[in-house]
Amino acid sequence: MPQHGEIISNEILKDSYRKVVFYVPDIAAKTQPGQFVHVKIANLRDRILRRPFSICNVTPDGMLTVVYKVVGSGTEILAELPPGTVCDLMGPLGNPFTIGDDDELPVIVAGGYGSAATYLLAQRSPAKGILLLGARSSDDLILTEEFKSAGFEVRIATNDGSVGHHGLVTELVADVMRENPKRKMRFYGCGPFGMLMALGKMLTRGGMDGELSLDHLMCCGVGACFACVVKVKDESNADGWRYARTCKEGPVFQAHKVYYPEEN
Amino acid sequence: MTDLSIDLGKIQLKNPVMTASGTFGYGVEYADFFPLDQLGAVVVKGIRMEPSHGNPTPRVAEVSSGMLNAIGLQGPGVEKFLHGEEYMPFLRRSGATVIVNIWGKTVEEYREVAAALDADREGIAALEINISCPNVKEGGVAFGTDINLASQVISAVRGATSLPIITKLSPNVTSIADFARAAEACGSDMVSLINTITGMAIDVRTRRPKIANVTGGLSGPAIKPVAVRMVYQVYKAVKIPIIGMGGIMTGEDAVEFMLAGASAVAVGTAIFIDPMAPIKVIAGIREYMDEFGIKQVSELIGAVKV
Repeated sequence: MPQHGEIISNEILKDSYRKVVFYVPDIAAKTQPGQFVHVKIANLRDRILRRPFSICNVTPDGMLTVVYKVVGSGTEILAELPPGTVCDLMGPLGNPFTIGDDDELPVIVAGGYGSAATYLLAQRSPAKGILLLGARSSDDLILTEEFKSAGFEVRIATNDGSVGHHGLVTELVADVMRENPKRKMRFYGCGPFGMLMALGKMLTRGGMDGELSLDHLMCCGVGACFACVVKVKDESNADGWRYARTCKEGPVFQAHKVYYPEEN
Repeated sequence: MTDLSIDLGKIQLKNPVMTASGTFGYGVEYADFFPLDQLGAVVVKGIRMEPSHGNPTPRVAEVSSGMLNAIGLQGPGVEKFLHGEEYMPFLRRSGATVIVNIWGKTVEEYREVAAALDADREGIAALEINISCPNVKEGGVAFGTDINLASQVISAVRGATSLPIITKLSPNVTSIADFARAAEACGSDMVSLINTITGMAIDVRTRRPKIANVTGGLSGPAIKPVAVRMVYQVYKAVKIPIIGMGGIMTGEDAVEFMLAGASAVAVGTAIFIDPMAPIKVIAGIREYMDEFGIKQVSELIGAVKV
């Protein structure tokens, strides 16, 4: 059911990255890591649709944090909304990440602001693990200190080499595997589609699995419109795949269930 | 006491508000929001004989006061629709009045789907023939913009079922009244209009179309005046009931369609913004009737003062 969410704060995190906190106790209380809220931004004018946002954090006192990047008409308007503004939120929506056991090493592979969508996961994981964070450059790295405070080791890869490994974040995954030959690991991925496909292929080819947070341009958020689909394996179909709704069947998918075209 | 019940000839609805096909999934997606039997009818997403993948992504783009979509009629196929737990069996249990939107790639497939649904018709109030989807290469609007093909499809469906049939008309024609007349002549019990208007949007930075199908169907408040005009024209052309739709967001929008000649209305894109929109539209019609002392909602049909 749509709920009123009052904006408590709406601040610049870094450059075009913003952090908005809503007071929306019913949704905050139910939220599990990896889920999202579907927000009808106040004052949207001639833009009419809701915007889906990954939930970055929730607190027992009813606060729900979303980290977003100002990229288009919706987020430009959201960035201007002062505290006290009331938006309309639906959620929490979608299937969450599975939280591992305390003997498993959680390895979160995030690209861009994928770190925002996995922060609650890090916080709630019983074992403290590793965040592998990829970004275009140092300017695009967010929430690294928060992950460290949550007990996670943070390793960085940047495309321009401005910080950390000069290259792709997926190249750091092999290091983690090599360093922990005996350890049970649980992989999570959140970030750009191409990065997640590369990660999913790497894991499944290595006989491992993981959970990938996939999404696509969303519209209804509840599985009715079939806008936000991605390909998943389906042996019952002659093509070997079907389109699955990321809002309803995802956004979190098991890596081995995702369809990777180049396999065939 | 205001009376919202409406008589569409072969079917009677408790109120004139339906969901537009493709915007309400198969009903189950919204069952947590309100009891489906509160609606005049649930119109489900288009069904054909075989399962369909639909179009590549991106499938939607937001535009001023509306959206473009080119979903491409992804669907489970008629067998799974009739027997898969989350489809027709669920709808039967919900007590909703169910209208099944059907399509095919050939005239023969339209006939087959109608026959398959007719053979397992429990809980199905009517079929809506989709000859107006602008986003599939075969079938859909290819039938809805050629009056001879449209007539063939409607006649084939008419021959395959005794269920009431509704023909959903495309606005992407020069004279929609001609197509409404053809539908009536071929035995369609009702017409519904409008389907989406073909449109296009381009990302000027990448110079690429915003949806993978290049073109898509425009819906939402942006199209409402076009839809009201077409309902008005069709009302003057045929005697069969009209189900009006296109950008309805409020009860007053619904009343506007009824004044233009619609006997019932469908809410579509508004559901994506507010899942409670159809219920709010019903309440809004009731408020309007109270305000203007209207006892029976049918008094509004075609009552525009020109």
